[in-house]
Amino acid sequence: MDGLKAALVLFVAALLQLSVLTEYRLFRTASIVLVALLSVALLRGSMFGAVAGFMTGLLLDTATLGTLGITSLLLTLGGFWIGRYGETTARDRFHAPYVSVAVVTALYLFGQLVLQFMLGEPAPAGLVAHGVPGALLLNLILTLPVYALIRRLFPPLELGDRIREVRLLG
Amino acid sequence: MPRNRTVRLAVLGSSVQRAAPSGFPSSRSSALKRRIVVGFLVLASLVLITVSFRSSALDGVQGTGATVLRPFEVAADRIARPFADTVGWFRGLVDAKHENEKLRAQNEALRRQLILDEGAIHENVELKKALNYIGPPSIADYDRIDTSVVANPQSALDESIVIGAGSSDGVQPNSVVVEPLGGPDGSGALVGTVDRVTSHASRVTLLTDSGSAVTATDVTNPHVIGAVRRGGGSSDVLILDRVPKTPVVRIGDTIVTAGSLGTGPLKSKFPRGIPIGTVSSRSANDTTLFQNIQLKPLVDFSSIQTVVVLVPKSR
Repeated sequence: MDGLKAALVLFVAALLQLSVLTEYRLFRTASIVLVALLSVALLRGSMFGAVAGFMTGLLLDTATLGTLGITSLLLTLGGFWIGRYGETTARDRFHAPYVSVAVVTALYLFGQLVLQFMLGEPAPAGLVAHGVPGALLLNLILTLPVYALIRRLFPPLELGDRIREVRLLG
Repeated sequence: MPRNRTVRLAVLGSSVQRAAPSGFPSSRSSALKRRIVVGFLVLASLVLITVSFRSSALDGVQGTGATVLRPFEVAADRIARPFADTVGWFRGLVDAKHENEKLRAQNEALRRQLILDEGAIHENVELKKALNYIGPPSIADYDRIDTSVVANPQSALDESIVIGAGSSDGVQPNSVVVEPLGGPDGSGALVGTVDRVTSHASRVTLLTDSGSAVTATDVTNPHVIGAVRRGGGSSDVLILDRVPKTPVVRIGDTIVTAGSLGTGPLKSKFPRGIPIGTVSSRSANDTTLFQNIQLKPLVDFSSIQTVVVLVPKSR
């Protein structure tokens, strides 16, 4: 059931991203897909985040006729990493979604740049560096409503469902 | 109270396993499964990148996927359109009065110019006929395919758009794409070229992409020949490069595609006379051989709604 809900949420987010947000210059650097994915990963864990990231990336690359796999790779890693953060240290912390979105937004942009560079395509680092503050700001603004909505759809799991191993330290 | 030795051991670092809920794997196998799944997904992504980048084996699948997604994108666009139009309407109201006066004055000037231009065009046609002149192809030598933009650029690095026409509509790789109303007099202005074609959709690389360039000339001074490409900064600025210092370029001049006769691969894919932008600044210094000419593009590359694809007329 969670898988179906996540697929629907991320599909709608991808449509919004492709057809609505990018029509406005102001929102061109924002990524509602990234925010939605990280919110889902934070609430449902690393495996869920990784699979959701892979499928969402595939959807975006298909719709934009881009090189298949680039967005999938970045979103898989982002979803997995934030999922792990959600499973371990981020438990019920207010700042967790904001920290996750801020860090992954910056890493996602530079990840794109590195992949483009490795594929021998134009990779203007200055342009990305200029775009990072705007993208961070917009994604953080989007985080508030998107995370609230996704938290309603995916209520946090009971502690026992989420943590299967504890290591006691002195 | 004496310490419990078992608990002490746990505190010193032994791992304590929680009983996993029924139906879930144990922690060790869960961690292993997690690693396997992520490893597989990363590997799958890398394989996809390699195959997609190096061959066209996945183009068919991708084209089908894009075709399936298109109705959803169009539906999302239609739902959002009234809101976008409302915002545009309010924004337009703010500038309406000032813009009205400006447009009236411009209209008058254009009417006078049109009369002169019509005479010149007629004379030009007559002279070409008399001289049996063969020039570079013009827009009239191309068929037009009107289509809408399905997806605008997705990030700061992305300088491409997806349009809703593909090979089944006659679009070919390297076809020239213009915006129908982008030009100064409502004529088309250059957007870019088609770089990937599927049956019902195509990807257009914009003129603002670092890899794009087009030979261009000044409409008022044909001796000015250079290459238009992206400037160093934002996509709002293009530069007209490789123009020697002697021909005069004035601020406000319109720069259009030069086209070329050439043969084979050397033939320009752009017809002559597609407007690109207007000269916004020009300078020259002693250390370079060429002028520094900046252009303001006639197209807002971030929000293109409709385009026209130009394909050579079948003879």
